[in-house]
Amino acid sequence: MTMQALSGLKVVEWCEFISGPYCGKLLADLGAEVIKIERPGLGDKARSHGPFPQDIPHPEKSGTFLYLNTNKLGVTLNVRSTTGAEIFKQLVKQADILVENNPPREVEELGFNYESLKKLNPRLVMTSITPFGQTGPYRDYKSCDLISFHVSGMAYINPSCGVDDIEQKPPLRGSENQSGLVAGLSGAIATMSAIFASHATGLGQHVDISEQEALANVMRITLGTYALEDVAWTRYRPVPLSEIYHCNDGLVYMVLDQDKTWLSWVEAMGNPEWAMSELFQDQVSRRENRDAGKMLIEEWTKEHTVDEVVRAAEARRIPCKAVNTVKESFSSELLADRGYFVEVDHTAAGKFQYPGAPCKLSLTPWRVERPAPLLGQHNEDVFCGRLGYTRQDLVTMRAQGAI
Amino acid sequence: MQQLPLEGIRIVDFTAVWAGPHVTQWMAVMGAEVIKIESNLRPDMTRSFFSNVNTNLTMSAEYSGLNCGKKACTLNMTLPKARELVKELIKVSDIVTENFGGSVMDRWELGYSDLKKIKPDIIMYSGSGFGRTGPYKEFPAYAGIVEAFGGLCSLNGYPGGEPLPMATFGYADITSAEHGAFAILAALHHRSKTGEGQYVDLSMTEVVSCLLYEQIMDYTMNDRVQGLQGNWNSTMAPHSCYRCQGDDEWVAIAVSNDEEWKAFCYTIGNPEWTMDERFRDGLNRLKNQEELDRLIEEWTKNHTHYEVMEVLQKAGVMAGPTLKVAEVVQDRHLGERGFFIDVGHPDVGTVRFPRLPWRLSEGPQGNYEQPPRLGEHNDYVFAELLHLSKEEMARLQEEQVIF
Amino acid sequence: MSTQALSGLKVVEWSEFVSGPYCGKLLADLGAEVIKVEKPGSGDKSRSYGPFPQKIPHPEKSGLFLYLNTNKLGVTLNVKSTTGAEIFKGLIKQADILIENKPPREVEELGFDYQSLKNLNPGLVMTSITPFGQAGPYRDYKSCDLISFHMSGMAFINPSDGVDDIENKAPLRGATLQADLVAGLNGAIATMSAIFARQITGLGQQVDLSEQEALASFMRRELGVVTVEGIGWTRLKGTQPGMASDIYQCSDGRIYLICFHDRTWEPWIEFMGNPDWATSELFADMASRRENWDAAKAMIEEWTKEHSVDEIVRTAEAMRIPCKPVNTAKEIVESELLEARDYFANVDHKQAGKVKFPGAPYKLSETPWRVEHPAPLLGEHNEKVYCDRLGYTKQDLVRMRAGEVI
Repeated sequence: MTMQALSGLKVVEWCEFISGPYCGKLLADLGAEVIKIERPGLGDKARSHGPFPQDIPHPEKSGTFLYLNTNKLGVTLNVRSTTGAEIFKQLVKQADILVENNPPREVEELGFNYESLKKLNPRLVMTSITPFGQTGPYRDYKSCDLISFHVSGMAYINPSCGVDDIEQKPPLRGSENQSGLVAGLSGAIATMSAIFASHATGLGQHVDISEQEALANVMRITLGTYALEDVAWTRYRPVPLSEIYHCNDGLVYMVLDQDKTWLSWVEAMGNPEWAMSELFQDQVSRRENRDAGKMLIEEWTKEHTVDEVVRAAEARRIPCKAVNTVKESFSSELLADRGYFVEVDHTAAGKFQYPGAPCKLSLTPWRVERPAPLLGQHNEDVFCGRLGYTRQDLVTMRAQGAI
Repeated sequence: MQQLPLEGIRIVDFTAVWAGPHVTQWMAVMGAEVIKIESNLRPDMTRSFFSNVNTNLTMSAEYSGLNCGKKACTLNMTLPKARELVKELIKVSDIVTENFGGSVMDRWELGYSDLKKIKPDIIMYSGSGFGRTGPYKEFPAYAGIVEAFGGLCSLNGYPGGEPLPMATFGYADITSAEHGAFAILAALHHRSKTGEGQYVDLSMTEVVSCLLYEQIMDYTMNDRVQGLQGNWNSTMAPHSCYRCQGDDEWVAIAVSNDEEWKAFCYTIGNPEWTMDERFRDGLNRLKNQEELDRLIEEWTKNHTHYEVMEVLQKAGVMAGPTLKVAEVVQDRHLGERGFFIDVGHPDVGTVRFPRLPWRLSEGPQGNYEQPPRLGEHNDYVFAELLHLSKEEMARLQEEQVIF
Repeated sequence: MSTQALSGLKVVEWSEFVSGPYCGKLLADLGAEVIKVEKPGSGDKSRSYGPFPQKIPHPEKSGLFLYLNTNKLGVTLNVKSTTGAEIFKGLIKQADILIENKPPREVEELGFDYQSLKNLNPGLVMTSITPFGQAGPYRDYKSCDLISFHMSGMAFINPSDGVDDIENKAPLRGATLQADLVAGLNGAIATMSAIFARQITGLGQQVDLSEQEALASFMRRELGVVTVEGIGWTRLKGTQPGMASDIYQCSDGRIYLICFHDRTWEPWIEFMGNPDWATSELFADMASRRENWDAAKAMIEEWTKEHSVDEIVRTAEAMRIPCKPVNTAKEIVESELLEARDYFANVDHKQAGKVKFPGAPYKLSETPWRVEHPAPLLGEHNEKVYCDRLGYTKQDLVRMRAGEVI
């Protein structure tokens, strides 16, 4: 079996739902060994979240759980029980990385804060992913995807255009789940960074990820512009000529931010007179008069199909694509050609197509070695195989509620 | 002396604009030596992207926010001699990054198979809109286009409304860049164990699909295409954005269980309507959420957004203000956490930028040195690294190779 | 499909572990429709309890759960959530019987006490099985099988024989789980009694079952003797003093033998080869044998130790002397006698596979006991019950799952 990029790295994942598990997934999918701890009974909240095949809720068939937990080993553990806490510490002792996304106060109360775990395992990289980070006045505040998106500043400048009378509408969270994913992603990068640091020092450290900051970072240019130029983007489109246009059978997204592409497109539309006006003679004036420009372009696109518009634009190397639903992107030739979607066979859930690799590595490719674990699937492998407990111990621990 | 995690790693960086430089920004902050390859003929476009078109600054916020801590040299890559020099540079480097809108590197004979010949363990990263294989490999990447194609726009909008482009052009850029940074670190990790490099091919469209796993799984499991949810959630109510006191001020509130609902009602003074059958239990609250939102806004509009957050958080309910750009910079939590740092700027001395969204408990926090001017490190690159003499350098500058 | 004895009766079972579920099982196995309500996630505690095949804990393969919950429909429900409470009341409205074994205080706090539920459904029979009942100073005390057994008085007079120097040993709880099973059993009888009462009055009622009392009832005789004659049996040997009902060691096991009656003593002595000691005056008649039984037992055991269980039992049975081997579970499962009675049930369970367990202790000629379907998977009948009976949609169920209501 070929080695994978992160083979040899041992990770304990004490997380649930999205942010922590996505960090764990990124590591697991490239070969790190990730032992995912779930509480007995309900397991990871994601198991209750869906989507479910035929809308029948089932803890082993949640699309959210199945996607976010590929390639991990799964154990049940009640870390609040004394026996469970012992086992947790043993797992942490053997690990390179601990990823957790629990409220900081809870982590402290359980005695699993970095200062304590560091004594058990000085090499440990502990990555904590929380809504507001490990410090600061909001540290213990409760949050979720919606809140993170709004407190990061992203919601206020979303959408970037397309709505008349935007002030009558509330600021907009984007598609669901993005906050957790971005936080988990930041966590994965920072974790690897700490791993590299430990190569030099032999010691681990605590990585502190705040979901609010992870999203605010997506807007770093916006924040920088405010800092440097004193220009604060508000709820008006700052992006010139990057628009959604109506066609007669759907919508397209087209970018006409360069003289070259603007002129090409004008030509594609048959050189209408209005385009010769002073109002559209250069980038600056086109920005100023964007509403008019959009309306006029749309008069043309409304007479054509999405397909026609996209082909006309692409032939002139103008960036333009249909505004797809996930159904259309899923069925696209483009993604099929790349072999992007993968079929995963899961003992309980069955076979489904999942999104695949976020990027392709030539030597150590992304792959699904094993699907998401059943609840407690690897209890024996991990607790007996690695920590030396007997099967009888496990039976007792189950009855006592420790696993 | 404590060092940064990637100290000693050298990156030859052909990336420009947003997505690419964001990848190498992470690398530079972590201590890698990133050498931007630009040219007077083709500087990184963002250097002159100003929101405030009348500014007299020599370096834009956009450029500064993405290029802290990097070095920059000029090479006119249209000339064969320049490509020779770049090869020499690559021989003493670890990673090559690019995000051209097409197979430019191949045409320059600097594709992965070429580079492998001069440095067998080289890691090469290519970021693109649609991947470096397939019929769209020559198309440039635009975040909006990729978001439209990937289905993100179809999930960003108000219920009953239309798909809308997402905030701060670049959501797909940043998330792709971050996945790219992670993949590079994984490849580096693999190299540190085995001595083997590899090629990393990142497609932004594929990243978007990874982020839309829930909607994709719902489609592959149930043949269902999810629509626009605005600020709503499929299981929680109340869960939305509400107008507050002041001009265009808003707050986000989410209630996830009965306990929180009780606390919420208590906090807003247990008005009669909360006892109405329509709102007494979770399922009914979901069904009647439009009316619920309207009633809640009757309360929020009499308070500022920060007030609402403080009073609800105290009661254990999730709430957070929708921050405007200026408010993000002024937020006291981010302030106390030191999310903003001073970065050098040639014209204004220093400017406040957000750091990258992680803290490490040990060692220096990152390299946020002033972003480089065009060609600022020519001497370092050509004289020190490539051992060219003063005369050779002068000659090459005359010939417009170093240009 | 032929009607079963209790077909038509609709039961909601809101209970876990042994006492409540055994009551529910008794009703379900004879045809009542029993909807078992389990909490989401880990479900009934007995799912964590085992025994498990190959000792691998699995919530769908716990022997205890599988046995106690045959023939029931299973749903998940968090009755502490407001939506869950609504659903619970919806189920109650449609039921004849509610079986619950929750702490009385919890039931009250949730608003599910009998007075409240009676308003929803006047015909409801609510059977509440608890360690100490619904009233009294111990009402809210915590308990378990061990405590119940000891507080019922049974432990003090257990064992009845076989230990030298009994006063240096602690009083003894019997085999595990017995207390809970007895409570459930009593609950089932009382429930049926209330159902009959309802046929006359049209109204339901609460059945208040205390485990302590259910076990104490086993000692009706002992309790009668102490109240009427003032004699309290202590830790003396025998279920009544001098009963001479014993366990004897054989060469390859043990037997339980009763041989002191006039009718059985003679043949038994003959079987032992008419030893000299047996002709002593000490053993001349029943009364004297009782008085001197310790000596007799010691002598008998010297002989049984030299013979096999099989030999002794076969011969004794042929002579109609009460005698059987002291079996373990293994021998019971392999017993020809039980096989001939078709006693064991063989069930094929979706996850646990083929399982064999005890059937019914009775046979009804017209409406026999049978396993219509094995114990339910966790939440197996959510859709059937909530959508078909209560009118929720599948989408509602998805939302309720995410909200941890089901």
